[in-house]
Amino acid sequence: MKKILIYFMFCMAISAVSMAQVDRSNYPEPGPAPTIELDDPATFTLDNGLKVFVVENHKLPRVTFSLVIDRKPILEKDKAGMTGFVGQMLMAGTTNRTKEELDEEVDFIGATLRAGSTSMYGSSLKKHQEKILTLMSDVMFNPVFPEEELDKLKKQSLTALATSKDNPDAISSRLAAKLDFGADHPYGEIETEASLQNVNVNDIREYYETYFKPNISYLAIVGDITKEEAEKVVKAHFSGWEKGEVSQKDVPIPASPEGRQVALVDRSSSVQSVINITYPVEMSIDNPDYLKARVLNYILGGGSSSRLFMNLREDKGYTYGAYSSIGTDRYVTSFSAEASVRTEVTDSAVNELVSEIAKIKASGVTAHELESAKASLSGSFGRSLESPSTLANFAINIERYGLPKDFYKTYLQRLSALSVEDINAAASKYIHPDNMYITVVGNGAEIKDKLEAIGAVQEYDIWGDPAREMEMVDADMTAEKVISNYLTAIGGQEAVEAIKTAKVVMNAEIQGQKIKMTSYHDEAKSRYAQTVEMLGNVVSTTTLADNKGKISGMGQEKELTDEQFEEVKMNMFVFPEAHYESLMYTLTLDGVKDVDGQDAYKVIVNNPTGATTVNYYSVESGLKIKSENEKTGDINYNDYQERQGIRYPMSMVVKTSMIPMPLNTTVESLELNVEMNDENFK
Amino acid sequence: MKKSSFLALAFAGMLSVPAIAQNSIEFKEFTLDNGLHVIMHKDNTTPIVVTSVLYHVGSKNEDPERTGFAHFFEHLLFEGSENIGRGEYMKKIQSEGGTLNAYTSNDITYYYETLPSNKLEIALYMESERMLHAKIDQIGVDTQREVVKEEKRQRYDNQPYGTILPETLLRAYSEHPYQWAPIGSLDHLNAASLQEFMDFYKEFYVPNNATLTIAGDIDYKQTEEWVKEYFADIPKGQKEIYRPSIVEPKKTAEIRDVIYDNIQIPAVIQAYNLPPKTDKDSYAMDMLSTYLTGGNSSLMTKELVDKQQKALAVAAIPLDLEDGGIFIMYGIANMGVQAEDLEKEIDVLIRQVQQEGVSEEDFQKLQNIIENDVVSGNSSLDGIAGNLAQSYVFYGNTNQINMELEKYREVTRDDLKRVANKYLTLDGRVVLYYLPKPAESKQ
Repeated sequence: MKKILIYFMFCMAISAVSMAQVDRSNYPEPGPAPTIELDDPATFTLDNGLKVFVVENHKLPRVTFSLVIDRKPILEKDKAGMTGFVGQMLMAGTTNRTKEELDEEVDFIGATLRAGSTSMYGSSLKKHQEKILTLMSDVMFNPVFPEEELDKLKKQSLTALATSKDNPDAISSRLAAKLDFGADHPYGEIETEASLQNVNVNDIREYYETYFKPNISYLAIVGDITKEEAEKVVKAHFSGWEKGEVSQKDVPIPASPEGRQVALVDRSSSVQSVINITYPVEMSIDNPDYLKARVLNYILGGGSSSRLFMNLREDKGYTYGAYSSIGTDRYVTSFSAEASVRTEVTDSAVNELVSEIAKIKASGVTAHELESAKASLSGSFGRSLESPSTLANFAINIERYGLPKDFYKTYLQRLSALSVEDINAAASKYIHPDNMYITVVGNGAEIKDKLEAIGAVQEYDIWGDPAREMEMVDADMTAEKVISNYLTAIGGQEAVEAIKTAKVVMNAEIQGQKIKMTSYHDEAKSRYAQTVEMLGNVVSTTTLADNKGKISGMGQEKELTDEQFEEVKMNMFVFPEAHYESLMYTLTLDGVKDVDGQDAYKVIVNNPTGATTVNYYSVESGLKIKSENEKTGDINYNDYQERQGIRYPMSMVVKTSMIPMPLNTTVESLELNVEMNDENFK
Repeated sequence: MKKSSFLALAFAGMLSVPAIAQNSIEFKEFTLDNGLHVIMHKDNTTPIVVTSVLYHVGSKNEDPERTGFAHFFEHLLFEGSENIGRGEYMKKIQSEGGTLNAYTSNDITYYYETLPSNKLEIALYMESERMLHAKIDQIGVDTQREVVKEEKRQRYDNQPYGTILPETLLRAYSEHPYQWAPIGSLDHLNAASLQEFMDFYKEFYVPNNATLTIAGDIDYKQTEEWVKEYFADIPKGQKEIYRPSIVEPKKTAEIRDVIYDNIQIPAVIQAYNLPPKTDKDSYAMDMLSTYLTGGNSSLMTKELVDKQQKALAVAAIPLDLEDGGIFIMYGIANMGVQAEDLEKEIDVLIRQVQQEGVSEEDFQKLQNIIENDVVSGNSSLDGIAGNLAQSYVFYGNTNQINMELEKYREVTRDDLKRVANKYLTLDGRVVLYYLPKPAESKQ
């Protein structure tokens, strides 16, 4: 026994750790926390006021030049969206190079060059340093701002805006911005078609001439370069940059919401509600509570082990994710708690969010939560340092926001010193459960009443403006009357019933490609056909006949299921409204709504299989101006004209999730009561 | 794990080509008696450390009746071990201020975590637990099967063009197990018994089939001691590791097919078989792909997207695999452009390269771009860890990481023309059209 013991000890001695039986029952203890040494970047200032920071890092033979213009936020008013064009306009050519030449020269050296309204970024291998600086300074100092490039950019922005009109997340963020900051605030104003159209090349040039000044700019140089060399090249390329006074306005601080205000945007095609609970808050990086607020937010809803996520997703299964944020901004920012949830649980989800917000203020956080938050935040701070540009950003922040010189050096130390009491004090100061905007974008008919239990619901339109107060002028109005008024408006019940067949040819254009759609309605024989042609080729045909439907195209043919047949069946009729009664569709009148500025009766149409379509009929003219269907999309009807005693919309705008942008269709010909050919329904 | 998309891996792999000539990556390596190969790279600039284990098992090592196993294990092995509770693996790393991830390809399965450097021992302990005695039980198998089902739905079935890789592989290989994608078959996973999962673990998750890489703020001596402490006792595998020796026969006819998918815009996919990853021509094919579609001023982007406006996007991606991968080319048609029409123009440009090669000026540009990519490829520790491990496993030489630029430099203009003719064989390729499923009529 003794021998064995000696042998054992002997073994231990010669190979101390490698043979030791390791304790696998517990996690090893971490070593002492590493000290993070942050070197101060070298810095110098040119005579024109340009402040330069140099982070030497010779690991890779690369160098990056990153310029930031430190201007205050500006109010763009009737030209909202203008600053969004500045970067691409700068890159659209110079007095020395066309856009193509610029692209080619950047690609040729394998480099990157980009510009924004307050930034410019150039990066290349060390050996192409002179070339990238030449290209960067050419873009900086000699832009030509070509008109045709602005036209192209405007077109793209208008397309994006059109798409965003229907996007619930975009609607939600516009609403939150307007409520938190107000429409006349740099953070609250939003771009519209008119404001984008309003932008011209002179605005861009004027902006460039006003703000691109060295005395409000910082240049960070990171990579394989010494301070001496940086000084030489920066002087060579940037000392001719003339300084100038930039007069800037302060940003106003908006008032907090009074009480809890429930704001709803009714989007009847929604199957999910986008919830954002928000209010403005002042939290700049130089605020002594900055770190406390970050920890507080992490615990409430900063990650996938935070309270909101654990409650709304893991416990209740309401949503794929629920998060909160407290922004950081020199002037003013916002608190927000967000989730996209199934329509049915909208009010329950709002209640859970509100109660978590109230709870963290009332009961505070636990020591365990605090430790996890610290570990997570210090881990991400540590990882961020791997990128050398982080050091440059730190130096610029210290300068820009007047932070203590050791702000980042003491970051981890200050984080680790925070106590539960600190976080609870921050919760009591920055969390305001009784003064919040509770914004919801969703199907009003299903959620509005339930939301009323949370607070008085104020309705807003898709632009974040209060929806016009709409009242039922005629208290006796019913859905049936709306339909009958509509039929009268298009020519009268009798005239409508006299129509037995119709052939409609419509044209549309997508990105320069013409599409032709031809529909045959044969009400006498209960059949319908539609062909879609592109470039003269038939790309799809739909046929309904003998209580069956099929769709063919791209070499395939598919029978419709009974459900699909019911959906498509409404197409069979030239004027479906004339058949609602006989088909036993149920109609519900859901008040008067604002449809692109027109007052309209909203009628919800349910067919016996449960499919829903929502139609809007103008209060003034009685005509149908819009329909919404979850599956087939939204259609706006315009330009009613008379044909053979019947009024028919000659222009329709179709929006569906199937096509990337709204499709403008116009009626090329409409023939009523024409002979139908059996060939068309084969 | 959750973020493992093979296609994304393939794309990322292409973007971050390993290694540099100028600034070499230093490393130390050793092999334990049980066969575990260990690579260490010290860089004390930032107090973080990346720990990774590469298991040399991918979908090609699977039984054709049990496809999807390798990828399934990438999920299963986060379930815990004899000492780490179920679901704790990820939580522990996160609560220590770290991040983690994993992916599976046709050739390898790779796990990695980034932690503050004082927590290296925790990472080594956890990886050794995974290698020594991972928890493989019915509950874990059932749970992860549901997760993989969701992943397949989200990433492949529900994703426009998401099935491109599986559909292409299926046709590009008639014999080799590359014919199935790592996601594999859910039916196979459903049919598998618990014993089969345990057998797979015993065959492939053994130290002699693994490469452990540690990169970051470390001390070489201490790291080596810890590695021995946690890994030396893990027994060497007893089974023979299955590595397919099947050689894919050369295609003599074009394979052409149409896939109807939930998409709006037609796409054309072409795939050409490539030589094994370690073949010298791999570098030339990579440069050729950059010439064809890398950047705004590349041949196909300029001609098909900007000038003719027939395509919304075009891309050439060499998916280089151990036993010979595929060169995938895809074009997404512009609105109203037929797939046939776009394919014709793509072929015109391929023939142009085959006949005329690459101009001196374009060749120069290509070398500049490649140099920039190679140099930038090793800018992060997790990139370096991955490249070190792959250099060792695929090339049998860890220092391959420092020879990449040299290898690209050896490629000549003539080589580009030669490989364009040798591999882009118009009569031995796969061509797929992705077309929109006939939609329900609107209006």
